[in-house]
Amino acid sequence: MTIQVLPDDDAATRAIRQLFGTAAVPPRITYGYNRECSIEVSEPEFALAIPWLASRKFVLISLFCVECFREGAGHSLLYVFERKGSILTLVRNITGARATSIATIFPSATWPERECRDGFGIEFDGAFDTRRLILHESYPAGFHPLEKSFSNTPITTTRDISAADEYLFRKVSGEGIYQVPVGPVHAGIIEPGHFRFSVIGETVFNLEIRLFYTHRGIEKLAEGKDPHDCIKIAEAVSGDESVANATGFCMAVERSSGITVPDRAWYLRTILCESERICSHLNDLAGMLTDVAFPLGASQFAVLREEMVRENERLTGSRFLRGMLCIGGVSRDISTDTLAGFRDFLVQFRKQCKIGLSIVLSTPSVIDRFSQTGIIKKQLLRPLNITGPAARASGGVVDVRVNHPYGMYDRFSPAPRPLCDGDVLARFTVKAAEIMDSLDLIKQVINTMPDGSIKSDEPIRDGCALALVESTRGQNLCWVWVREGKINRYKVRTASYCNWLALEHAVPGNIIADFPVINKSLNLSYAGTDL
Amino acid sequence: MVNAFSCLIKKKVTETRPLPDDEIEQIGRAIKREIDARFGRSLAIRELDAGSDNAAEIEINNLSNAFYDVERFGITFVASPRHADVLLMTGAVTHNMEIATRKTYDAMSSPKFVVAVGDDACDGGIYAGTYAVLGGVDIILPVDLKISGNPPSPTQILTGLLALMRTAGKKP
Repeated sequence: MTIQVLPDDDAATRAIRQLFGTAAVPPRITYGYNRECSIEVSEPEFALAIPWLASRKFVLISLFCVECFREGAGHSLLYVFERKGSILTLVRNITGARATSIATIFPSATWPERECRDGFGIEFDGAFDTRRLILHESYPAGFHPLEKSFSNTPITTTRDISAADEYLFRKVSGEGIYQVPVGPVHAGIIEPGHFRFSVIGETVFNLEIRLFYTHRGIEKLAEGKDPHDCIKIAEAVSGDESVANATGFCMAVERSSGITVPDRAWYLRTILCESERICSHLNDLAGMLTDVAFPLGASQFAVLREEMVRENERLTGSRFLRGMLCIGGVSRDISTDTLAGFRDFLVQFRKQCKIGLSIVLSTPSVIDRFSQTGIIKKQLLRPLNITGPAARASGGVVDVRVNHPYGMYDRFSPAPRPLCDGDVLARFTVKAAEIMDSLDLIKQVINTMPDGSIKSDEPIRDGCALALVESTRGQNLCWVWVREGKINRYKVRTASYCNWLALEHAVPGNIIADFPVINKSLNLSYAGTDL
Repeated sequence: MVNAFSCLIKKKVTETRPLPDDEIEQIGRAIKREIDARFGRSLAIRELDAGSDNAAEIEINNLSNAFYDVERFGITFVASPRHADVLLMTGAVTHNMEIATRKTYDAMSSPKFVVAVGDDACDGGIYAGTYAVLGGVDIILPVDLKISGNPPSPTQILTGLLALMRTAGKKP
């Protein structure tokens, strides 16, 4: 993999030429891996670029803040856009911690702008939502943990919250409308989050989600640490996406340092990524069936999942595949015999999956509950940057493994097979199909596994890089800046973070009793959102 | 076609339980004896995530799958803290979850037990001494047992619960 100058017909190249003229050449533009480029823009250029990019169907996939970027002073905002497989990053240097909001043009900027406000104290002019996001009301006013001037030490919060400081939910009123507050502590064994339903009779009229209860300060935690020590922090972003987030982190550091990962290491990483996907999807299938009261199917998939998890433990020594990834490759090799055993296990496993699926898909009561429930409209995919199986079930052809192939995915990429219905049934079917695809992919990878080294010994160099990986829930973005050998900024944006807003749009119009199955069909990670 | 008649004659969907795991069976039977003796045959657990990375939740959920099926040993996971004997806590307690955690504990009736599951819940783990967390669960609640691990496996969680059952009766 090498850094490439983008071809002329590339969407990002055309955007730059159109917006900034032919004079915009390196070093003003910097190129990255995977058809990626970034450009520093002035305020007038930025104001011009935003509506242009919106009209050309660019998707804002992330927005985050960095302090003292490229030896400058003050704050820089990085706006990452994606269009047709190419990535354009606008670097906007702001003064006085003030900037104009773009949330009315790019709705997917709403949460990130609130996040920058909490983390760095940046005020966005014209923002329609200026409530706190990651720091709840118990945090003191004026506290901005991601600022470099704050060193990561325990702080004192308040337990007495005045009525004026309480979080304001959107007011929904009218005849017969009442509120159902749910959470943060839920009935099942599940992570914390608050759902505010406005209901007419049984039908949900509006849903507002409040999260960040498990905000553990992951991004700040990584700062100042040796990159090698941060793998376990990346793994702790979300338990069931341990491999994906560790891969994203390693890739970003490898790219900024110019480290070439040996082929065998990438083959092994691919097996781990796909195994993780299988486990997570099986868990989702079982969960969806539990929520429509079909325990026969649910226990079938729960058993298969446990078998897979035990197989993971045999392969790597960890039920969550933790501790395998390292910068430059993988930390342990897996012997050819073990891999052959795994391949044989998967043959039987695949048959069992098929039996389970045929039972479920021939049960009318299940289909009845799944079909036409919790529809995510295709029009929402771009403005909200909905990603992963949720987008693929609503007609989106989005998959990082196909659009921005990394590692071995340029050789073994899964066939895109989007469905259009966007309901729970479509998401169930997409996830089931992806399990089969992942099983086939692992088989191919094992069959063609090369010999050789599993780790590169090249040193880590200073620099910053962006990495995108396809986690079980969709596109995870990771941006790492290494300075003087230590992590200076670690930004991670998981697929869950984007897809929560899809849930807010999928639930209204359904009855409240269908909320659990709609929620489970997306199965978003609270921990991966809250960081 | 599915109709009432075809449902009657078609082969029942069933299969034998996955391979019996001697270790689980032994721990399970021992737990059942203790629960029968001390908790009137039923131990109700309320699980609470106060800032975990969801791995521990997944393992606790796994206790209910067909491999472990802990309900047969008298262990049930309940929805309301008012029904619970044990509060099973995961994650380092975050500032954002502090109030909810206290409310949950206060809603339980005595006698009540608190178990910390996972390294983060035991002593704050990798988050110890940072701005967003208070630290381990024992900073705000009296903890009766700590089960370490990142995350602990279902077997380790069961073994921990057995230890709790054995000491629970001897509490002054």
